[in-house]
Amino acid sequence: MAEIDSGLEQMYQEVILEASKHPHGKQTFAADLADEHATAGQASVTALHEACTTGQSHQFNPTCGDEATVYVEISAQEPHIIERLIWDGHGCSISQASLSVMVDLVEGQPVDHAMELFADFHELMQSRGRGLDDESKEEALGDAVVFQGVSKYPMRIKCALLGWEGLKDSMARALTASGSPAQDEA
Amino acid sequence: MAPTLQQIREQFPILGTTVHGKPLVYLDSAATAQKPQSVIDAESQFYATINAGVHRGAHELAARSTMAFEDARAKVARLVGANAQEGEEELVVTSGATAGLNLLATAFGNASLGRGGQAAQRFALQPGDEIVVSKAEHHSVLLPFQELAARTGATLLWFDLDEDGRIRSDMADEVISERTKIVAVTHVANVTGAITDLAPIVRRAHEVGAIMVLDACQSVPHLAVDFHALDVDFAAFSAHKMYGPTGVGFLYGKRELLEALPPANFGGSMVELAWMDQPAQYMMPPARFEAGTQPVAQVVAAGVAAEWMQGIGMDRFEQHERAIAKELLKIGDIDGVRILGPANDRDRIGTVAFEIEGVHPHDVGQFIDAQGIAIRVGHHCAQPVHRHFGVYASNRASSGIYNTVDEARAFVQAVAQVRPFFHA
Repeated sequence: MAEIDSGLEQMYQEVILEASKHPHGKQTFAADLADEHATAGQASVTALHEACTTGQSHQFNPTCGDEATVYVEISAQEPHIIERLIWDGHGCSISQASLSVMVDLVEGQPVDHAMELFADFHELMQSRGRGLDDESKEEALGDAVVFQGVSKYPMRIKCALLGWEGLKDSMARALTASGSPAQDEA
Repeated sequence: MAPTLQQIREQFPILGTTVHGKPLVYLDSAATAQKPQSVIDAESQFYATINAGVHRGAHELAARSTMAFEDARAKVARLVGANAQEGEEELVVTSGATAGLNLLATAFGNASLGRGGQAAQRFALQPGDEIVVSKAEHHSVLLPFQELAARTGATLLWFDLDEDGRIRSDMADEVISERTKIVAVTHVANVTGAITDLAPIVRRAHEVGAIMVLDACQSVPHLAVDFHALDVDFAAFSAHKMYGPTGVGFLYGKRELLEALPPANFGGSMVELAWMDQPAQYMMPPARFEAGTQPVAQVVAAGVAAEWMQGIGMDRFEQHERAIAKELLKIGDIDGVRILGPANDRDRIGTVAFEIEGVHPHDVGQFIDAQGIAIRVGHHCAQPVHRHFGVYASNRASSGIYNTVDEARAFVQAVAQVRPFFHA
């Protein structure tokens, strides 16, 4: 039995392996791209919340073919609470676990807070394994800090960000639909 | 005397690399093969001693570089059974197999617009005509011909695959009909490693007067290939998968067909007479298809690679890689591992795609990589064949002449550890 590489152990933390097996927020509503008879781009969700606008975003990782369709319902009035966040797709344990942790972090939260977390998580993934200097940011990210080990592997950063990109894009679409265009945080 | 495996390995400097502190085991030759020192040297030697424009200029260096360029074309032609005598050349230099296939599809499209005159009408397509591919094709075959169909109004049809992912050659008489104008299939599939039973397809294509196009990317590096014997009309392959440099490929065409084919790219070095107000007169093949400055140093190095392969002997390639394939295929005995392609070593090369139940290919690849073993993960630019197997993506180990049985065994051992690590 070959010894297990330490970087590998850091990347695949228990939280990630566990979350990827039973990811939160995952539902079946988009086309199954492994099915020969599927129609690409087909996805339909029935909105559950009143006084909300909806947004949907399809994200794709061309390196491995991983994809996620993220769907949000956001209250039309300030402070624009994410009333519902679900997703469909397939991918590696990193992308699946990241989506799951993201759902736990931002569902029920205002859009502004979700955007702050998006920025912090993005920064974490750019940290090349060092993590964030700001402890309060790490605290806010909760379970999402376990992806710090992934940030050492440039080829896998996109896996961890796939769902978050979908969240950002789908929120922007929902806000546009409500007449409150998303602020560009860049 | 024939070199030992160890002597062959010593010619590849990259095989001395360590990855994650472990000696590199390179099992991704289907993506790109590693290069022997002689190929690496050939490029820099060319720049150091004979670099000059080819087929232009009259100074001594220009003559030497032109000779080196044409000599390389001839070496590659000898490897694949193509003509290379001046005026009879059957190999066109391209920037890769993808470029070769696009060149062909574009030229067929131009013929469909009436370009190339009467001689090119044999390539012309119109609504009602059919183009036949297969579900096993690389995107570089599928997409150029799918686009050609869309541009001309022709219909795209395809060969289905059997359970092992083999092209259903037995359906040739049904799939290919009097309406078929072009048939384009792979010689060896880049995902399944299956060698296509070409004879029935070629026979039927010619019976109905269709043009037979072959993707030879995965056959030329591993098998003795003779395009004349296969009787295909066109074939594309790339140098970097056959131990040569990147940025170079070759498009084979039967001489009389190349002469009838209209050009696809236009510019310098492909025209005899150019006017402001009269139609241009294009050169004879292969120059007609080689517009612009060619990757001369790389072509010269590709010639060295072809000669190197012939020196070892393609029989030896086949024999050696069959032994490696046999070892790689032992992953099929591991619980939860499913081979996507033929599970036995008959009519296949040492390219073995697989999925591991409960573990995504990206994670499998990461785990295997941590052992210093390089395999490919993803859809390998062939999504339809993955859908055929009902998966999104897969893992793929692929052999080269330099792989050892021990390396293959190390790979099998690593695969056996994947499910336990991921608690699958």
